[in-house]
Amino acid sequence: MVNPEELKNEAKKALKEGKVKYIIGYRKKPEESMATPAFIRRAEDSEILIWDPTCVHNLVRFLSDEKRRRKREKNPEQRPVGIVIKGCDSRAINVLLQEKFIAREDVYLIGISCEDNGVIDEKKLRKKLNGRKAKRVDFKEGQELIIETEEGKIFLPAKEILAERCLECKVNFPIVYDVLLGDKTKRKPEKEFASVEKFDSLSTSQKWDFWKNQLEKCIRCYACRSVCPMCYCDECVVDTISFAVSADTTAEEKANKIKWIEKSPVLSENIVYHMVRAIHLAGRCVDCGECERACPVNIPLRLLNNKMEKEAKELFGYEAGLDSQQPSLVACFRDEDPQDFIR
Amino acid sequence: MAFLCKWCSSAGSDLAGVSRMEYPPNAVPITVMCSGSVSPLYIFNAFKRGADGVLVSGCHPGDCHYIKGNYYARRRIALVKKLLEFIGLEPQRFQMSWVSAAEGLKYTQIIKDFVKEIKPLGPQTKLRREK
Repeated sequence: MVNPEELKNEAKKALKEGKVKYIIGYRKKPEESMATPAFIRRAEDSEILIWDPTCVHNLVRFLSDEKRRRKREKNPEQRPVGIVIKGCDSRAINVLLQEKFIAREDVYLIGISCEDNGVIDEKKLRKKLNGRKAKRVDFKEGQELIIETEEGKIFLPAKEILAERCLECKVNFPIVYDVLLGDKTKRKPEKEFASVEKFDSLSTSQKWDFWKNQLEKCIRCYACRSVCPMCYCDECVVDTISFAVSADTTAEEKANKIKWIEKSPVLSENIVYHMVRAIHLAGRCVDCGECERACPVNIPLRLLNNKMEKEAKELFGYEAGLDSQQPSLVACFRDEDPQDFIR
Repeated sequence: MAFLCKWCSSAGSDLAGVSRMEYPPNAVPITVMCSGSVSPLYIFNAFKRGADGVLVSGCHPGDCHYIKGNYYARRRIALVKKLLEFIGLEPQRFQMSWVSAAEGLKYTQIIKDFVKEIKPLGPQTKLRREK
């Protein structure tokens, strides 16, 4: 169990020594039960940093904002950005390093090991509490969590409210870091790709009925894209911004404009959007589960990304974010890649 | 909808044509420079515009004009195929083949088989955009 005091001290030290520009971590507002991202510039502010099972966010996402900001500024500050990362977040860092989106010296990584636990699923917690409001959730010795509500404390086995992805977690401690808090206790996942395998066993029409119902709900708010640490493209294929129609756009230009995906949230467009996202995240998705958490209409997006992760592993022996030196999934091949599906 | 690479499969289909081989007229050929240049978006969009089946065809491994384009295609298309099946599209609707410039006969056979396999499935309405 990582003591939050250690985290505060590390953050304070880094800020005091001027090692970092600012630190991205977690804080908790007293009225909320879940943690929120915090940006800390002054050493004395590091007191507000926390570490508990509600620190669900993948803060790596904020690095793409930082990169854009740097690009805009005339004389950008060259000091690195401090960032608090969990195991899954460190894999995201690795993918960004692999793609040369960030340089190793641009970030100062404060790694926290989840050890035997993980982070909770807010929806599961709400269900468990049945209308009561959680004031605080914290780790307890062993695999139990303490939930403080207005009516007193509740003890729950971690398994019951941990996020699905944490139960399937393969990397429970950071693999790239500058300082590491907690132990590198390797944990065997209870069930790897269990939900994907279960879904794979369904028939074609059952699969289609499921996805039809799910993707019809999509309102195309792009929360999944905004929250994803890997969705950093300057120009996304679903945005029509690059096809802006101005006064001097001719009718011919309008007619010949390639629109891969229409903006309207109808089933056919939603499917293409989500498939494109799944393909683009194949071999890059680190299963941080943020897309599913951010989705306002509860589409099981993790299932889609997990499927790609599973295929990458089974067909090509590829796992995202374990090594920042490996070539990316679709930019390399092996002679023995499967081709039994090709005529 | 058949995406044929310029150097092998397209030439293969041409050979089938000039040799007066008979095959179903259902395939709409689109010549691309390399099977590796077929973006998954092309495939999704073909289905969205109502294609009943999509075929991607390239050179045999080792024969790629660009040395390794078809190896990249093999990887990417495998992922796309898995994804389309996962979403609930019939696996027969999306296929890949290796057809060299000398294999006119193989090309006609592939189209014949393809058409035979997807005819019983009826029109593809799952991914089609409603007008």
